[in-house]
Amino acid sequence: MTTLNPVAHHTAPRNRMLNVVRLQFLNRQTFLWVPALILGGSWALSMLIFWIVGGAGQTGVKAGGGAQAPLWYFLALGIQAMTMTFPFSQAMSLTRKEFYLGSLAAAAVSGLGMSVVFVLLGLLEQATGGYGFNAYFSYLEWVWMAGPLAAFLTYFALTMFFFVVGFWFATIFKRFGAVGLASSLLGTGAVLVAVVALVTFRQAWPAVAQWFMATGSLGLTLWGLALTTVLAIGSYLTLRRMPV
Amino acid sequence: MSAVIEVRDLTKSYKDAVALDGISFDIEQNAIYGLLGRNGAGKTTAMSILTAQNLPSSGQVKVFGENPYENPKVLSRMCFVRESQKYPDDATARHAFAAARLFFPNWDQGLADELIDDFQLPLKRTIKKLSRGQLSAVGVIIGLASRAEITFFDEPYLGLDAVARQTFYDRLLADYAEHPRTILLSSHLIDEVSNLIERVLLIDAGRIIMDQSAEDARAMATNVVGDAAAIDRAVGGREVIHRESLGRVASVTFLGHLDNAERSVLAAEGLELAPVSLQQLIVRLTQQRSAGAPHVAPAAPEGSLR
Repeated sequence: MTTLNPVAHHTAPRNRMLNVVRLQFLNRQTFLWVPALILGGSWALSMLIFWIVGGAGQTGVKAGGGAQAPLWYFLALGIQAMTMTFPFSQAMSLTRKEFYLGSLAAAAVSGLGMSVVFVLLGLLEQATGGYGFNAYFSYLEWVWMAGPLAAFLTYFALTMFFFVVGFWFATIFKRFGAVGLASSLLGTGAVLVAVVALVTFRQAWPAVAQWFMATGSLGLTLWGLALTTVLAIGSYLTLRRMPV
Repeated sequence: MSAVIEVRDLTKSYKDAVALDGISFDIEQNAIYGLLGRNGAGKTTAMSILTAQNLPSSGQVKVFGENPYENPKVLSRMCFVRESQKYPDDATARHAFAAARLFFPNWDQGLADELIDDFQLPLKRTIKKLSRGQLSAVGVIIGLASRAEITFFDEPYLGLDAVARQTFYDRLLADYAEHPRTILLSSHLIDEVSNLIERVLLIDAGRIIMDQSAEDARAMATNVVGDAAAIDRAVGGREVIHRESLGRVASVTFLGHLDNAERSVLAAEGLELAPVSLQQLIVRLTQQRSAGAPHVAPAAPEGSLR
């Protein structure tokens, strides 16, 4: 009997992980159009608010938190990348590792795109003095302290952080159900409260504030990337032995 | 022939149930297997573990001589079409096939296109808006056109009408003849697939209760109709797996062969012999094993009712 291309099969195809990126982008709406819409929408709304505030006679620097919206969306993106595409990835005979690394890469593509738009907007705002009326969406002084590249890194780190958190919690939900998800959310909350309690009891808030100031946005970004890496590993370990 | 899958003492237990209870079997290369059994017998669990989509509690699974878990070298040579396969939300059938083309090295787009025609599958509608039958067609097309060296079909026909199912069987056989490969087909419609499958693996309550060629399986049992007393004399010590009687006339299904001398005795007594279909045999065998089974056989296997 003949076998099918016997030679071609004895090594694993190499570009499977890259193909996972293409697989994730099958959800074009999820990975492309919705984030673009949120970015455009929150920019337009912010500008509208700044214009109204400006019309009321406020001529100082106008900056808001509107830029957070598209970054938070990466939480949803992480959830959807996991829940929508994982079962199909298994039908495509992918390993969990290939699926996971490919999904991270897909998120990185989306996150890089988002960060580039942010930096370009920030540069524009810097050059035009906030579109000529001191309105800033992306150019937040503290974030841009160490220059556009550092700001780019901060935005990118935030997208990846949110993506990994969303992905991990979705994995926990899929594997351990609602009780597992609630427990881990409560557990995370408890840890945060414990940290707050510790700092409060030791009356260490001034020291904490000082550390934040001294570390600066770039330093915090690097810490954030380190934290994201730890979370990403935890997320992988949860996915690794998950049944479909 | 050589085994492409070797399973030894495979057990899968959940908190409150044992899905697979220490099963062992081999799957030979280039054959069509029927993985048969009732709902909840453990068919899907077994296929999920073989394709590393689920993990065993204990025991050993080897595919192409290696553990399939997280093994791209092994996984890329397999394709598992699930009855309840989920697809990405925005994906259309076209997207799903484009993805399959990326990941299955033997993907045949020409075959996929022909099958899309055969099943009249709309390509531009999102998969979540397809009918149950069209959804099944997406899985069937991926399973056939991927031409994976080992292909698993887990009840792939749900919602497909009789014509579409026949198309699937015909296409499967035709493509299998041209491109021999190993196929595991789980099905409730045993009569429909009985001409297709070369070997039968019957699984019941997490155990393998039959592992042999379809031909041998069909020859396992005989049905005899006639005078009850004469039948009892003729059947002798053979294991009776089913008996129906109306007055003095009985219909008895028993295991084992009859030699020519016995056949002529039966003929002289006016007893009629009839072959037992694979479906009947399997219904009787599984009924007999499940304690407290109803005496009346279900009119049809559940799969056909949906």
